[in-house]
Amino acid sequence: MSARKIGLLILLLAFGGAMEAAWSVRRDLHFGPEGCRVLGGRFDGPSYTFEQALERPVGKAPQVEVRNAFGGVRVSAGAPGVVKAHLRKVVYLPTEAKARAFSERIELLLSADGAVARVGTNRDAISRLEDVGFETHLEIEVPADSVVTVRNEHGRVDLADVAGGRIESSFDEVTAQRLARDLEVDGRHGEVTVDTLGGSLKLSAQHGNVSVRDVKGRGKLDVQHGDLTALRTGPLEISQQHGSVDAAAVAGDLVVRAGHAQVKARDVLSRADVETSFAGVELLRIGGPARARVEHGQVTAEDVGGGVTVETSYENVRLERVAGPVTITVHHGGLEGKGLAQGARVRASGADVTLDGFTGPVEVELDRGNARVSPRATIAAPITVSVQNGDAQLELPQGSRVDLEGDSRRGEIHSELPDAVVSRDERADHGPGHRLSARLGGGGIAVRVNAEGDVRLSSQTASAIAERSVAKPDLGPAAAAVAAEGQPSPGPEKTPAEAPATGSRESPRERR
Amino acid sequence: MSRPGFSPEGLTLGAGLVALGILWTLSNLGRIDLLPVLRTWWPLSLVLWGVLELADLIVRRSRRSSR
Repeated sequence: MSARKIGLLILLLAFGGAMEAAWSVRRDLHFGPEGCRVLGGRFDGPSYTFEQALERPVGKAPQVEVRNAFGGVRVSAGAPGVVKAHLRKVVYLPTEAKARAFSERIELLLSADGAVARVGTNRDAISRLEDVGFETHLEIEVPADSVVTVRNEHGRVDLADVAGGRIESSFDEVTAQRLARDLEVDGRHGEVTVDTLGGSLKLSAQHGNVSVRDVKGRGKLDVQHGDLTALRTGPLEISQQHGSVDAAAVAGDLVVRAGHAQVKARDVLSRADVETSFAGVELLRIGGPARARVEHGQVTAEDVGGGVTVETSYENVRLERVAGPVTITVHHGGLEGKGLAQGARVRASGADVTLDGFTGPVEVELDRGNARVSPRATIAAPITVSVQNGDAQLELPQGSRVDLEGDSRRGEIHSELPDAVVSRDERADHGPGHRLSARLGGGGIAVRVNAEGDVRLSSQTASAIAERSVAKPDLGPAAAAVAAEGQPSPGPEKTPAEAPATGSRESPRERR
Repeated sequence: MSRPGFSPEGLTLGAGLVALGILWTLSNLGRIDLLPVLRTWWPLSLVLWGVLELADLIVRRSRRSSR
């Protein structure tokens, strides 16, 4: 037998064996032309589309309940007093005749009992009996005063122009737009977008990004394994794990409890209270007090109308223009503070502390770092600087009336101050050191600078503590209106940074 | 050595490819279900090949006896 014949024989037998193997395993692996389920719950293979429509009259302000799976649900406002449902059936079978026969068994279910309407399909009954892939896409028109509940899996949900709603969805996107009242969303494995909501928002999302904008009421958001973006909202209470938080123009308090999440908050009308870990916190233009508790993360706060309380570790803290008192505790990190209007109490270790421009009482305790304190403005409150294992530097504004005491336990005191007397201090424990005491400008306010290393004292011309005053939160017109309805405004707003959402309708996106 | 007028394995392979292409096209058009058809009818390729081999053998013997 020639090699050609042997080769052809092997080829034919291999082809036949492959056909037999595919035939025998097709039921077990859901493989075959009637539609196999691939990643994401989608079906694949040849498909045919069939349609069905129903409508039922309903009472005023109806509740509409929609239940679906493996297909999109789109609910929008229609004529009053009637619910219209349109079902698009996509059947994954190899021939049109088979698909049509199967589609005739898929029923659109629409019942209306007074003020309650229910929309769904008989998918569950069919799926239990046969393993044929099919999608059921629902497009529903309801009265504009309806409250709609949607439960869907493996299909996009779009809800728009109704009174309110509740959405439970998984494995696809959720979009809710232009709702007059409250909304509740529970999303899994899909992105969630909420745009223009007249009431409150309660949202829970896992494994998907969340975008929220123009929400008038209070927001309670729980997002895990996804990024959260919130723009122009009412007061926000955010729980976040393994993602990031970006909140802007919050007309009220902002409370964030996060883990492994970077938090960025801009233009918060009232209080900002943030806890996170292993990522940084950035707070800009906060109308009220700000608090940040971070593990292993940097903290930045600028233009804060109230006080600032920060507790962090292994990274630095940077503050600029704070109207209230400041309390900083940082382990293995330092502080750079500018324009602190009501003083600061700082405990830091392992890095430098710089206070450049402040009024009010200041107390610095630093270990393993250098401290530089420059009030800029004439001193009007006590200052205490204590440094272990490092140097200290004080720049006294001219015209200050202080009783100054300087103490360098192991180093030297370098003084450029007039009328300051430096005395040598013999200490049995630490060896030679230096002390300085001076009454400047007639004395009055106690200023103490203690360091284990050198102490440097100099004078500077008195000036303002910052180049400009603390900026107010910029909420934009929409969020400012929300703030005016619900809360007292801290002051006049600046130029709006961004126009309100136009509320453009998003065209329905269908997979097929 | 001269070959007969046709090659059985060449004919079989060619006919098989033509049949496979036609069936696959019909499947894409939604006219047939490809896998059951192939699984049912693939042994016909062996039959076709065997028939052609027999025909080839007969043709060669008849040529040899006629010389």
